[in-house]
Amino acid sequence: MDSNFSHAAWAEQLGGVSLPLVADFHPKGEIAEAFGVYLVDKGITDRATVIVDAGGTVRFAESVGPGGKRDIEALVAACEAIDAAWSPGLPDATPPVGLPEGAALYVKDRCMFSRWALYGRTNLHLEASLPVVNVSRDPAALEELVRRGGKGQAPALVTADAVLYESADIAKFLGERASWG
Amino acid sequence: MIALGTTAPTFSRTDHLGRPLDSTALRGRRHLLLLFYPLDFTPT
Repeated sequence: MDSNFSHAAWAEQLGGVSLPLVADFHPKGEIAEAFGVYLVDKGITDRATVIVDAGGTVRFAESVGPGGKRDIEALVAACEAIDAAWSPGLPDATPPVGLPEGAALYVKDRCMFSRWALYGRTNLHLEASLPVVNVSRDPAALEELVRRGGKGQAPALVTADAVLYESADIAKFLGERASWG
Repeated sequence: MIALGTTAPTFSRTDHLGRPLDSTALRGRRHLLLLFYPLDFTPT
């Protein structure tokens, strides 16, 4: 329901999300209305979930109310069942591009932006593939960061060719490379 | 709430990274999961 600017800020704070966020802001609630989940009296979109099968037919639709909580495990099961029931069969999904060899996430203590970058690493399931270096506890790592990127600012995503210092850039980079196609 | 078994409305927008996004892009490839929520910064 928010604008793309708010989405980008939220995605930054989450450190990157593995699914696209679509603004239904202008015209307000148009998509929600088409799916019958726009709450006109409240001027907001309901917290609702719709699953469309590979042929474009609605197979699941549920509202938990604006203050409710979705049952994520049940939704995952519903998605899998809907794909399994699609009789023409489905092609294999394209795996994420992945991170470049040797990528590392430099963070520091007591830093909100470092925390956001770490959320992104968790949200995108990169714990195993993206090592974390804490420059607050490792002077040699701080020197290494300055040598690689020109400044000791953290968070920083260090790869062989580039150092990204802005948390929004880090979120975008991780989101693009860790998402399934 | 939209009825089960009906054809889903389609839409075409850009995502939060500015990439084009078409609701029919997954046709024949995967289900499409739509998570509607009231406001950003609230639980998904």
